Amino acid sequence: MLKGFTRNFPTFKILTEEQIEAIHRGTLDILQETGVLVYNERALKIFEKAGCNVNFETKRVKFSPSLVEESLRKCPSSFRVKARNPKHDLIMGPNNVLFFNFPGTDTVDLNTWEPRTPTKKEHTNLIKVLDALPNVHFLNAYPYFGFSGDIPEVMKEIEGVALRMRNSTKVTIAIANNEIDIFTIKMAKAIGTEIFANPNTSSPLTYYTDQVNACFLAAEYDLPSMIWEGATSGGTAPASIVGALVLSNAELIPYIVLIQLLKPGARVSVANLVLPQNMTNGAPAFGEIGVSLHNVAFNQIWRKYGIPTVCSSCGPTSSKRIDFQLGYQKMMPALLSAISGSSALQLYSSIYGEITAHPIQAILDDDIAGMIGRFLEGIEVSDEALAIDLINEVGPIPGHYLSKAHTRKWWKKEQFVPKVADRLTYPEWLKKGKKSCIDYAKERMDEILAAHKVDPPLTDSQENDIERILKEARQYYREKGLITDEEWKVYKRVLKESSGEEK
Amino acid sequence: MLKGFTRNFKPLEILSEEQIEAIHTGILDVLRRTGIRFESKKALKLFEKNSCYVDYSNNRVRFPEGLVEDCLRKCPSSFHVKARNSSNDMIWGGNTTYFQALSGTRTINLDTWEPKTPTRKEYYDAITVLDALENIHIIPWYTPYFGFKNVPSVMAMSEGLAARLRNSSKFICANYSMGCEVFNIEMAKAVGAELRTSMAAAPPLTFYSDAVESAYRVIKAGFILLITSGSAYGGTSPATIVGSLISSNAEITAGIVLAQLIKPGTRVIVQDFGFPQNMRSGSPAFGAIGISLHQAAFNQIWRKYEIPTDGGVSFPSSKKIDYQAAYEKTITSFIGALSGTNTIWIQGALYGELAFHPIQAIIDDDLVGMIGRFLEGIEVNDETMALDLINEVGPIPGHYLNKAHTRKWWKKEQFVPKVADRLTYPEWLKKGKKSCIDYAKERMDEILATHKVDPPLTDSQENEIERILKEAREYYRKKGLITNEEWASYKKDLESPNYPYI
Repeated sequence: MLKGFTRNFPTFKILTEEQIEAIHRGTLDILQETGVLVYNERALKIFEKAGCNVNFETKRVKFSPSLVEESLRKCPSSFRVKARNPKHDLIMGPNNVLFFNFPGTDTVDLNTWEPRTPTKKEHTNLIKVLDALPNVHFLNAYPYFGFSGDIPEVMKEIEGVALRMRNSTKVTIAIANNEIDIFTIKMAKAIGTEIFANPNTSSPLTYYTDQVNACFLAAEYDLPSMIWEGATSGGTAPASIVGALVLSNAELIPYIVLIQLLKPGARVSVANLVLPQNMTNGAPAFGEIGVSLHNVAFNQIWRKYGIPTVCSSCGPTSSKRIDFQLGYQKMMPALLSAISGSSALQLYSSIYGEITAHPIQAILDDDIAGMIGRFLEGIEVSDEALAIDLINEVGPIPGHYLSKAHTRKWWKKEQFVPKVADRLTYPEWLKKGKKSCIDYAKERMDEILAAHKVDPPLTDSQENDIERILKEARQYYREKGLITDEEWKVYKRVLKESSGEEK
Repeated sequence: MLKGFTRNFKPLEILSEEQIEAIHTGILDVLRRTGIRFESKKALKLFEKNSCYVDYSNNRVRFPEGLVEDCLRKCPSSFHVKARNSSNDMIWGGNTTYFQALSGTRTINLDTWEPKTPTRKEYYDAITVLDALENIHIIPWYTPYFGFKNVPSVMAMSEGLAARLRNSSKFICANYSMGCEVFNIEMAKAVGAELRTSMAAAPPLTFYSDAVESAYRVIKAGFILLITSGSAYGGTSPATIVGSLISSNAEITAGIVLAQLIKPGTRVIVQDFGFPQNMRSGSPAFGAIGISLHQAAFNQIWRKYEIPTDGGVSFPSSKKIDYQAAYEKTITSFIGALSGTNTIWIQGALYGELAFHPIQAIIDDDLVGMIGRFLEGIEVNDETMALDLINEVGPIPGHYLNKAHTRKWWKKEQFVPKVADRLTYPEWLKKGKKSCIDYAKERMDEILATHKVDPPLTDSQENEIERILKEAREYYRKKGLITNEEWASYKKDLESPNYPYI
């Protein structure tokens, strides 16, 4: 089992109990008064059976506070998720803190800083790096949206899941767009790993059918869910931080109600990607401080509910480069969500928004995760750590601590030594070619790619299952018309050309 | 009065009450059993008079518990500090947070990233930038640089103070060195400002006479004393975080006892300035996470004593304005702010004490704005909860873009950084792929072209400053602390037609 980091002190809070109560009441009010719009007949029927006020014509569902509170209570406050290799099993909640990656559609050229589509090899290399980094506890969907070579849109992430299963034994996430989770969940089952079902909300207060179906799949396959909330304050949610909080919490709860109706006690976590809107260009304001205010309050409320939270908003930044701005825009939200109670942080590999990611960035982020993790462990206060006798013995100058056994024993325990940070003095730094953290990260990446092996690789029969399910998916989407004849012609050629190469 | 930032929620705490008690007991034990070495006859006598056990053979002072606790109680829990312009006054203590520039010995070349000695003009220009940045509330000693070209090292502090008083009306600090505090105090009084000066322990458990002598002078002037211990955990204090806390807090506490014995009620602020020792190179591990753990615990202990704290000293170990410098500065300053540091050092510094750049200060000012916005917290009331609005907008196709509520609240809720790249990819490509460094350069040009110190020194204040500087120069010439060689190049600088580059 992967240990993650343990938070050894009370979580950091910014709301009072009265404020939490007010926000909770507000959430219940929205669910009862306005309710939500659900484009899924099956779910509407289940909600009706459970006593909700359902209007089948407008597809509107209103929830009673008692059903909501009962459903929240049914969720476990911590749970295990099984990986293909048990050493990568996860514990979600309550004081175990895990890290994973935030995706980018594209990779980025480290010289021009311009985005471009990754090749299949680059896509695979990012997965390998994420598999190798010790503080990456599981893998998000993607990490890139497909790869070059004319893969039909609908097949990009299915092919991506196959790549992750071949190149990593860490748990991953099954996105629900276009029902692709039907196939990716089957793949997970075939190779003996669990995968997170991933229903997304559509703000404000709306649920599309493929997303709702993810809840049914989670129940059918007995999988944990990570419910994703991504409103923009000032666009699809109120511009005030608590207003957005009330709305986003109200949006997460209907999925929790549905999941608990389908399977009481099912494993659920909630992921927060609420971002303020950049009012000058209409894009989400990645990297803003409002992200953290929202997230810290979000964590405080969901801890009260006893449901593990995921911070997704510490991944994307508004910088296009691996630079100073990127550094503060990542460290700030990650640190704040870690100390305020997130169970998992989606920190690694992302650069600008949801557009770019890079393995070098993932390697750099591993040092941030290590630092935050060391902070979470807190301070040991024991007789030996207090060292009162030692201090009295050493006394004033010329006494010192360098030669003491206590120092030799404790410094490694107390300090976190980053892997790719520049920690040289000026003379050393000049002598060694003025290397920066990016230079060290490149060296570490070469090392990882040369040495890292997925453990264990898929067996032949698992590999055959993956290939069979991919075929099934291709046929399904051909029949549904989501792969056009034109796309199919090119795709078929790509598949034929790549049939001999490394998976 | 400068508002600074108000922390509107409880501080981050990482120790339990029992752990604080254990640390407190440890501090008292060290002060009583081993005591502190004070290299000052004057101080030793004062301690002896106040019932400490003093051993003159090794200048050791052992402190009774009652005296220590009495002196801790005599320190004001918050106090007013006066700048040259009263709109820059502050109140230190409680849940206020102020930010100060962080110095480096030298400036850096932004193309090669190598350090170089700044010119007098670069020194004065950097102060103009610091004066203009809205989230800098304090311009401390050695800021921006330790000195500049052609200035003898013994004059660096007083020349620096003169530059800060000339180009800024913010709260200014100056430190002691070779008795220069005498001139510094005179200058501050001449322009009607208060000073903050440090009294630094020499860890482990020692105070040298220069620190003590300066403390007497600063207290006599009625100024503010910052008591500090800059230990290296694993070198001059134990390698464990709590062990090092006990050792450095014992030193600081002894300093407090001295200050309160000299003059009860003296305004003191205590600083956490320790670093883990980088065990490979022997230098301090700047930017290490241990600093933040130490700081959070330090704040928690001193809040218990109700004495304002200084720290969050955000030196990165990176030599460049890059990703690493950012995460190192962010975590150190942010943990400082969340856990209750009243005055935090951040703007401008690059690699540990050795490099500073105004471009870095401009970029850091955005980071500080974000921290400040976070400290303000979340407003929870009927209007911000917006229940009626959420019910009215309902599901898709409802949205919030065109609502009056959005127009009113987004500016209040968001912090918009000044030099961050916030463009979309198409905009960014079109505008030349600028980074935060490019934007900061533009802002620096703007500041230097337009910013005026408010108010400038009056003619008579300027004459006083110049007179005191002359006095100092003569004093150190006579003492032989300015060599003939130094004096020759210094004189050339002083006679330059552009002197003093205000």
